[in-house]
Amino acid sequence: MFEEASEVFDNMFKSSFPLTFIVFIPAVLILVSPLPAEAAHEFTVYRMQQYDLQGQPYGTRNAILNTEARTVEAEVLSRRCVIMRLVDFSYERYQKALRQSAGAVVIILPKNMSTMPQDIVQQFMELEPEMLATETIVPVYFALEDDELLSIYTQTLTSSSSQGSSSAAEVLIHTATANGFQMVTSGAQSKAVSDWSITSLEGRLAGTGGEDLPTIVLVAHYDSFGVAPWLSYGADSNGSGVSMLLELARLFSRLYTYKRTHAGYNLLFFVSGGGKFNYQGTKRWLEDNLDHTDSSLLQDNVAFVLCLDTLGNGDSLHLHVSKPPKEGTPQYALLKELETVVSSQYPEVKFSMVHKKINLADDTLAWEHERFGIRRLPAFTLSHLNSHREAQRSSIMDVRSVSPSSRHGAGEHPAGPHVDLRKLSRNTKLIAEALARVIYNLTEKGAPGDLQIFTEQMQVQEEQLSSVVDWLTAQPRAAQLVDKDSSVVSTLEYHLGRYLKDVRRHYVKADKRDPEFVFYDQLKQTMNAYRVKPAIFDLLLAVCIAAYLGVIYLAIQHFGVLYSLVRRITAPKTKQH
Amino acid sequence: MTLFHFGNCFALAYFPYFITYKCSGLSEYNAFWRCVQAGATYLFVQLCKMLFLATFFPTWEGGAGVYDFVGEFMKATVDLADLLGLHLVMSRNAGKGEYKIMVAAMGWATAELVMSRCIPLWVGARGIEFDWKYIQMSFDSNISLVHYIAMAAVVWMFTRYDLPKSFRLPVTVLLGLCVYKAFLMELFVHVFLLGSWTALLVKAVLTGSISICSLFLFVTLVHSN
Repeated sequence: MFEEASEVFDNMFKSSFPLTFIVFIPAVLILVSPLPAEAAHEFTVYRMQQYDLQGQPYGTRNAILNTEARTVEAEVLSRRCVIMRLVDFSYERYQKALRQSAGAVVIILPKNMSTMPQDIVQQFMELEPEMLATETIVPVYFALEDDELLSIYTQTLTSSSSQGSSSAAEVLIHTATANGFQMVTSGAQSKAVSDWSITSLEGRLAGTGGEDLPTIVLVAHYDSFGVAPWLSYGADSNGSGVSMLLELARLFSRLYTYKRTHAGYNLLFFVSGGGKFNYQGTKRWLEDNLDHTDSSLLQDNVAFVLCLDTLGNGDSLHLHVSKPPKEGTPQYALLKELETVVSSQYPEVKFSMVHKKINLADDTLAWEHERFGIRRLPAFTLSHLNSHREAQRSSIMDVRSVSPSSRHGAGEHPAGPHVDLRKLSRNTKLIAEALARVIYNLTEKGAPGDLQIFTEQMQVQEEQLSSVVDWLTAQPRAAQLVDKDSSVVSTLEYHLGRYLKDVRRHYVKADKRDPEFVFYDQLKQTMNAYRVKPAIFDLLLAVCIAAYLGVIYLAIQHFGVLYSLVRRITAPKTKQH
Repeated sequence: MTLFHFGNCFALAYFPYFITYKCSGLSEYNAFWRCVQAGATYLFVQLCKMLFLATFFPTWEGGAGVYDFVGEFMKATVDLADLLGLHLVMSRNAGKGEYKIMVAAMGWATAELVMSRCIPLWVGARGIEFDWKYIQMSFDSNISLVHYIAMAAVVWMFTRYDLPKSFRLPVTVLLGLCVYKAFLMELFVHVFLLGSWTALLVKAVLTGSISICSLFLFVTLVHSN
């Protein structure tokens, strides 16, 4: 047959040259065609943080993944993609996977974080900084659970846990029936993003009554941080601080529009970027204002800098200082006013001052006010957290997702950090009152401690706060994701512009030669899970097919037997006719 | 999966054709070129069918999951052209009945195999994703070889002048079954919601019974006179 075929083809090609094109070009095209990407399941994965801060690498250093999935229960994990659910996640298991040189780790998070038990959320929150603390060579991804992914996990779990404990025959049957999954990411290797600029925003309310007025600076950083940038919504830290800053801007801009209430203090508002990366935005802002320009509000007569950080929950309020304020300074006045307002109006709030010296030997600064403290500006931070080490300042669990109905439900405490609007608006009112008492010098003027300024038309608008927090937490605001064209920045700018004058942007770009911070891309990818079978299955299949073909061969060889059988059956019948 | 898997599927799909060609004695008759001709006729007939379908059958725009019974039936009716094509092939070959049937069926089935299964196998079975459907497709090609042999035999019987009157009805019924087999299969799958393996089994049984019936008729016809 082959000789004939070759003869035919020979004739064909000799006689008609164009035919070769018709036959060969499609053949070549088919041969070089890329493999199709028809995956069993396609889902979005969020990569763990990858950044360098002051030359020190943090997070995962890899983005490419193309290995078979296993769960931690499997015997051999090396060069496998280890998938685990948040419920089963622990640091030991994570370390076990890494120690066995797993190819990658995929952690499946539940769709709705607030349904998780409190202890699991707490445990994961405390693990987040540990996972980031050192660099990880293999890629680490987070995925949100859905039915398909769950079924992939269950199938992988059964195949992983049955390994090793069964007989050879069982394993053989198992390979034919069970599915393996090849996890493949579509993106390229992660690389450093060059020329990334972090945006900060500034705006002011000028005081009245002469030159050289004292300035009060209000600061809050807007970026969020978590183990995966695309999952960090940062509701409490620091969506609450930004929303409070915007509300204070609104309240004081109203006071400053009337001549009778226009005070003798300049108010400078600063929404800083890169707050979770050692307060880069603040650092640059200070350099710009103090070193490079001649006239700046920051250069002369700063009364104090008040940083707002994580204020959306809890019944305590901590004033973090790096140096206890001396009597007679405006700082001391604010401290006293805060104490007065708390004791006379909000006795349920536990107010205290926390003193922590700036540790320059640390890699990162603890609180934002330390940036100002280094530049010898009197500064402090207000927060409901009593330590900068609290895990919820940098957790992906810090989400808004608490529906209003469940908040008013039967005393049910949602898991993890979140923003409690009533507490946020109470804290806003408290701080606004204390600030107003300092600005208008009310105590010296003999005003009683329970005098309330922000009532009736001037009261703190809870809906306003709520809408700002909702908007801020509607998208991840990690510093790697908010560029200068992002809607977060432009909307913040618009909001500030409604209340304040001279709203300006400040950009920070890392130095080219010795960058203080480097971000990496490929933080969000599409992952495909392909159903695959082990190589032994192919061999098994080949044996089966060979056997089948053998049977077919015998059947066709002995077709005559069937033929004569049929003939014998039909022959008597024809005789009967 | 891998190239090896493609090799498996390919072997499963093609080797029965090769074995049939070798064992049926066609190779001894120098029938290769005739088979190629039959294949060319297949291509021509499919082209005509496609033109006809595209011209007279607008695309069905019903909701998903709704089965257009009449439309599918009409489309299956167009497959009558296959019978004409097979008849054309056989009428152009001189020789014994078995030889004519085998040449027409082999050429026809091989052309179908090359045209409609080669590329899906190459593209699909070589991909990363494992799916049983390529193995099923290969089995299906084996079934369709049997189907075309039976169909060619029935067409041959139908076009004989000396066909006895009593044979006329069963041969016509078989002819109808051959043409509407694909349509019936689709209907089965749709009505009984068959899985892919069950559908394949039903198809194999259906094709097997049609071929056994036509074999009986053929044997009776050939040896009765």
